[in-house]
Amino acid sequence: MQPPPGVQPPPDAPEHATAPIEWRRLHKVTPLLNAWKAAAVLLGIAVWNYSEALAELELPVLQKALFVIGAIVLGALVGLGYGALAWRRTQYGISNESVFLHSGVLWRQQRHVRLDRLQAVDVTQPLLARLFGFSSLKIESAGGAGSNLTLSYLTDDEAQRVRNEILARAAGVKQREQPEGGPPVEAEAAPERQLLELSSGRLLASLLRSAGVIIAALAVVAVVVAVIVTDTFRYAAGSIGGVVAAAGYVWSRFAGEFSFRIGISADGIRLRHGLLEAKARTVPPGRVQAISLSQPLLWRGKDWWRLRMNVAGYGGETGQDATTVLFPVATTQEVRQILPLVLPDLGTDSPVETLDAALTGTGEDHGFVTTPRRARFLDPFAWRRQGIRVTRTAVLLRSGVWWRYLAIVPHERTQSLGIKQGPVERRVGLADLEFHSTTGPVLSKAYHLDVDVARELLLDLAERSREARRHAAPERWMAQAEQPVAPAFLRAGYAGVLPSTPDRSAQ
Amino acid sequence: MESAAFDIPGVTWSSVSDKLIGVRRLTTGIWLGLPLVIAAVPAVIFGGAVWIAPAVFAAFLVWAFWLIPRQVRAIGYAELEEDLLIRKGVMFRSIVVVPYGRMQFVDVQAGPLTRRAGIAQVQLHTASPGTDAAIPGLPEAEAARLRDRLSEAGEARLAGL
Repeated sequence: MQPPPGVQPPPDAPEHATAPIEWRRLHKVTPLLNAWKAAAVLLGIAVWNYSEALAELELPVLQKALFVIGAIVLGALVGLGYGALAWRRTQYGISNESVFLHSGVLWRQQRHVRLDRLQAVDVTQPLLARLFGFSSLKIESAGGAGSNLTLSYLTDDEAQRVRNEILARAAGVKQREQPEGGPPVEAEAAPERQLLELSSGRLLASLLRSAGVIIAALAVVAVVVAVIVTDTFRYAAGSIGGVVAAAGYVWSRFAGEFSFRIGISADGIRLRHGLLEAKARTVPPGRVQAISLSQPLLWRGKDWWRLRMNVAGYGGETGQDATTVLFPVATTQEVRQILPLVLPDLGTDSPVETLDAALTGTGEDHGFVTTPRRARFLDPFAWRRQGIRVTRTAVLLRSGVWWRYLAIVPHERTQSLGIKQGPVERRVGLADLEFHSTTGPVLSKAYHLDVDVARELLLDLAERSREARRHAAPERWMAQAEQPVAPAFLRAGYAGVLPSTPDRSAQ
Repeated sequence: MESAAFDIPGVTWSSVSDKLIGVRRLTTGIWLGLPLVIAAVPAVIFGGAVWIAPAVFAAFLVWAFWLIPRQVRAIGYAELEEDLLIRKGVMFRSIVVVPYGRMQFVDVQAGPLTRRAGIAQVQLHTASPGTDAAIPGLPEAEAARLRDRLSEAGEARLAGL
């Protein structure tokens, strides 16, 4: 449902000399979808605080039930009334430079997000909204946790349209002129090609092979044995909390990463996932700050890797573990397909061999610099594996013998660099090299390098990242594409696995 | 000191004001001196093994007073063409390289004690929380100059994220 085009601008709308912003409203159903939350909170409070008092009241059960239902309905109505008022006071607009959201009943808030600072766009369908065909749209910018602009709720179609419009404008694709009196021209969705889909079988198997699940299962077995041996539930009662927490974690991983799909479009990487709450996320080119690949011991036999990423704006949001996942479980072959989406050129002449050495190798093959032999008393197992490889475009940081780990930081994305040395390291002539990236799950540190090597690398990498910044692609990723060719960020994969990209004009 | 590895050829380090030594000694004196006095009271009354606690605090105080001047003299910074270099630490040493173009904002901070000493701390913030780029103990005029210079250099070389 398109809101009426003639919405009055909010009283605090900025005066724009250039093209006037077309102010829009969120969908009318928003207060209804929010009201149930108020009712749920009220129900929770009622049950938590007054269940005993209610039980002691000497009234027939029916009357008590009516009492409770009445309180909930009242709460929902109050929520609805407030929501309706909030809805009336909420308006948003999109210009070529920014997205605007003006909201608030008592405390007015105006949030303007510059499109060239946009880091990611998420379309989320929470369970209830999804059932009725509504979505919420979230625009992430790099101001840390809470620095997003959320439009909830819109119809699914409207959310798609708004997302496409925002991405097209952020990309620097000029909006075609609106014909006089005609309907507004819609931004086309950038054509998208799906690359990989995670099967639920593999997701389940990967969870069963994770340390948390195995420990939880052992704990359950231990509790059952204790119950049988001691013939009382005394020991079981205390451990229920732990089991519930473990089950909750596994469930949230399963539901959050269910049906994970990764695809590519001219507007960047598209990630879709979720069992109950569905998410479709778009991370434009150049917004991934760093990637990590990790492999727990039990995944080794299956050749599985978990890919995570640092994206400014996703970092620091608590309880949003799934948002930093690039792909939950991928084989090495699939890793070779996914990595080029983020880093089209690994910067070596033998990318596949270098990547293999980085994932599973040890020693100095393929240009890796490892912890020197004299430091093996500090890392008796890991010293041959722990290493760094600098390529033309990125730095690969390899570590972990049992729990294999690889971090990749592109040169143009390092914020700052540092070396550190503790007293023991000084004795042996070692130093750690650190790469400072935006908040996120990637650990980008090279431990226990020879101190002279570390210093040389520090200077070399500072120079490389300076050079890379100078030649970095524009923030508005389509702005400099003179002819509509497939964007340079996606040519062929490392081993030529990727066919050509769909581009905007090919529709 | 075998600090050769942490010296970078062709870089001359500027050091910070010695007044920082006094300020840091005063703060440490308060933080360690108060528990020292409190622990000394029962020691005076009961004597014997109760003296261990004030002795430990006193030992820490002496050690800190010996360490602070070395720490302060180990702090250095250098303004290069494109980056700011900051060197720190005696036992745990570090060097940080922060490109001007990565700067998100600069802070100049001074507390009541540092203000009386006429010094301030300049801190550079990038988009990464890991960047530890604080230069404490700059004379106020130098802090103001560095702040302006950093903002200017940051603007000239502004990079995206």
